Amino acid sequence: MALLENQDITYYYPGSTKPSLCNINLKIREGEFLLVVGGSGSGKSSLARLIAGLIPEFYGGRLQGKLFFQGKELRGDERHLLNSHVGIVFQDPEKQLVMTSVEAEIAFGLENLGLPQQEMFRRVAEVMTFLNLTSLKDEFTTNLSGGEKQKVALASVLAMQPRILVLDEPTSQLDPVAAGEFLDLVEYLNKELGYTVVLIEQRLERCYHLADRAVVMEQGEIRYDGSPADAAHWQVKHHFPFIPPVAKFFASLNNAAVPLTVRDGRRELHKYFPDDPSVENPKRSVQLSPVNNKTTAVEAKNLWYTYPGGREVIRGQSLCVREGEFVVILGANAAGKTTLLKLLAGILKPDRGCVHLLGQDTHRLSLTDLGRSVGYLSQNPNDYLLQDTVEDELRFTLNNFQLPDNGICDELLHKLNLYDLRHANPRDLSSGERQRVALASVLVAGPRLLLLDEPTRGLDYRLKAELGGFLREITASGGTVVMVTHDVEFAAEYAGKVVMIFDGMVVCDGPRDVLGDSIFYAPQMARLFRGTAQGVLTVGEGLERMSGGALNVCQSR
Amino acid sequence: MLEQLSYKSKGTFLQNVHTIASLTYFAALLLLPLIFTHPFYLLGVFLVGIMAVVVSDSAAECMPFLVMGIWVAVFVMLLNPLIVQHGNTVLIYGPELPVIGRFRISLEAICYGAAMGVRLMTIIIAFALYNAVVHPDKVTAFVSRFAWKSSLVVSLVTRMIPTIARDLCSAREVMQLRGVDFSTGTFRERLKKYSWLMEVLLLSSLEGSLATAEAMQARGFGSGRRSSYHRELVRPRDYFFFLSGITALIIGICAWLKGYAVFAFYPKLDSFAGGSELIWLVVIIFCLIIPLILSWGWKHWPYLRTRI
Repeated sequence: MALLENQDITYYYPGSTKPSLCNINLKIREGEFLLVVGGSGSGKSSLARLIAGLIPEFYGGRLQGKLFFQGKELRGDERHLLNSHVGIVFQDPEKQLVMTSVEAEIAFGLENLGLPQQEMFRRVAEVMTFLNLTSLKDEFTTNLSGGEKQKVALASVLAMQPRILVLDEPTSQLDPVAAGEFLDLVEYLNKELGYTVVLIEQRLERCYHLADRAVVMEQGEIRYDGSPADAAHWQVKHHFPFIPPVAKFFASLNNAAVPLTVRDGRRELHKYFPDDPSVENPKRSVQLSPVNNKTTAVEAKNLWYTYPGGREVIRGQSLCVREGEFVVILGANAAGKTTLLKLLAGILKPDRGCVHLLGQDTHRLSLTDLGRSVGYLSQNPNDYLLQDTVEDELRFTLNNFQLPDNGICDELLHKLNLYDLRHANPRDLSSGERQRVALASVLVAGPRLLLLDEPTRGLDYRLKAELGGFLREITASGGTVVMVTHDVEFAAEYAGKVVMIFDGMVVCDGPRDVLGDSIFYAPQMARLFRGTAQGVLTVGEGLERMSGGALNVCQSR
Repeated sequence: MLEQLSYKSKGTFLQNVHTIASLTYFAALLLLPLIFTHPFYLLGVFLVGIMAVVVSDSAAECMPFLVMGIWVAVFVMLLNPLIVQHGNTVLIYGPELPVIGRFRISLEAICYGAAMGVRLMTIIIAFALYNAVVHPDKVTAFVSRFAWKSSLVVSLVTRMIPTIARDLCSAREVMQLRGVDFSTGTFRERLKKYSWLMEVLLLSSLEGSLATAEAMQARGFGSGRRSSYHRELVRPRDYFFFLSGITALIIGICAWLKGYAVFAFYPKLDSFAGGSELIWLVVIIFCLIIPLILSWGWKHWPYLRTRI
């Protein structure tokens, strides 16, 4: 018997004529790990809300179909009961915390259930111990890191002892280390403590292999429901992109077995190269900071920066970016990536050293002057959205700089697939669309240098590909892109140059090939081919090697 | 300044006192200067406040408030003699002014201004110290036992302040890079530019509040009768603290009712009665100082730490 079952569920949000969930038939069995994948607006979050009992109780709207919990049909107000059996952790850790301290936050749900003191003490103490939060119990929730906040959100849900744990893109706002730690916890909860887990995720490299079942969604419908390996085959066949690189690679090769981890992938790859896979190709020397004759777009010399609180974040670093380059800055949280980007944008002025932006010292320029030549996209696209329509948002920038339209608005709206949404309110759009509006509102001023702070956060594979393609177009037409990201797969796919920063210092500045040699920042494909073939960073490159390159290399040994 | 609003746990004695005990102590520190008019009494409580700041290692947190308080106090001290034309002991006669007549500065007005300045400083110190040593969640948890909706609102607002401050900074940077120059234009134009900033903050806050409400409902908020979580232990130090605060408050009120803590500035300064009125003050200060002595002992004397 399924723990939770949806039968022919169709759901419309209030005022909407298009269903957000359409004919959903889904059974969730006790102890199962279910992974839900799909693009933005495919209905994943609506499905999560349905399972958690928030639809239609919180959102209103119209729901058709039947919902069963432990074989018993839940009708009308009874769906409210799901709240106490299903716990949900949302995407943004910032917005799901209510109380000011960690301990009070964990107790909040228990207070709502009206539990007695002693029971609350026990549950809070157990959860804090299990999640290693005891040292943070009196800490202000606003002072916690993103990973800690998400852990607290998970703790507050676990304290309520739910039967099903729904996680709606819980790692989308976290850096890879925090995301990895969080997913390790989820794996432990499922495998050792027997929790039933429904995970909705965009970053699949760390979680695809954890699932017992993968559900692929599109336009509110479940398009495929099966094992992760079969789902990979199905997705490749039907041109769906929601597969991690290793699985995509083997599914694209039409390999019967689709390994889901790098370890299993390497074993499978060994079958293609049985001779001596451990022999490395002759190493190509990685050339750092190649000198070319292009004009310098931005040059930072001996930068030092300390925040007013006294924390020294950038320590004597220099960096040179030439026109037409696509540079990606990688590094752990609090390594100084965003600070470096803000220094390059002129938002922050260095304490010592200087930044020359297109030949001009940022010390001497106001932010408004810099805005004509620098486009800066912050982590939060909502900072850009204040007008009533998408089109007005672009005109707002033009008017501030007193620039004529000359058809640039329409051109950008077309390029960024926003033309049909030009009369829509930007706040009514999805997160991916909002980000494109923010990008358009920056690009409309015609900046020669584009600085982006984690633009792929929360984007699905399809939207990432669109963004990557667009940024490549910009660099191809002579523009320069500098981007801070945690997304090594994106960096491997699109970047020309990679800068790694650690504790305020640049530890690596070279072409994208450096990713292949990296211990931690190597993309999945590089780890798969390590020791077999050099220079493979993406699925495309892997397939190319398999169709000739790598085989030739092996034969030549 | 906003950063100073955040409580920082330092593990000090004053931070480790039961909420009821610390609230009682701070009630005494706040109410006594409000009812006292006698300059010696005001000075006495003021000095206890300063000592408490030092003993609780809260100087860094309180300093911005103290600096602001000094300016306001000096302003009050200077403004009172200029505006208030009462007092028999005139020190300076000025020119004839319309409506208020002949301008004059009296000794009584100067003294009253100085006393009010000290009172203001004492109240600011009490607030700054409260902010530095009392964990807001402990207070909201305490209040939530009888007013949980109000305490929840306070908690949500407290969480929102640093978030809004961060969002404001980020939105301002973004707008400047989109060509909005906040430093130029007429007053009306600047007002319009700042209204854009407010619009971004308002829209983002509204969206954020919807997400928070959803998370609250998912955790059973409003599903039925609520209980209240509190996990505070009661130690000997809490009794000392509570008794000190409540005794100081009661004796202070008695001194005020008996007229010892009252001082008339106008039309002529009262004369100081001498020893009898000061005995009450000594007892009040002694009561208020006991927790500070314990705090010092707790820090420097491990044996005492284990006993209280």
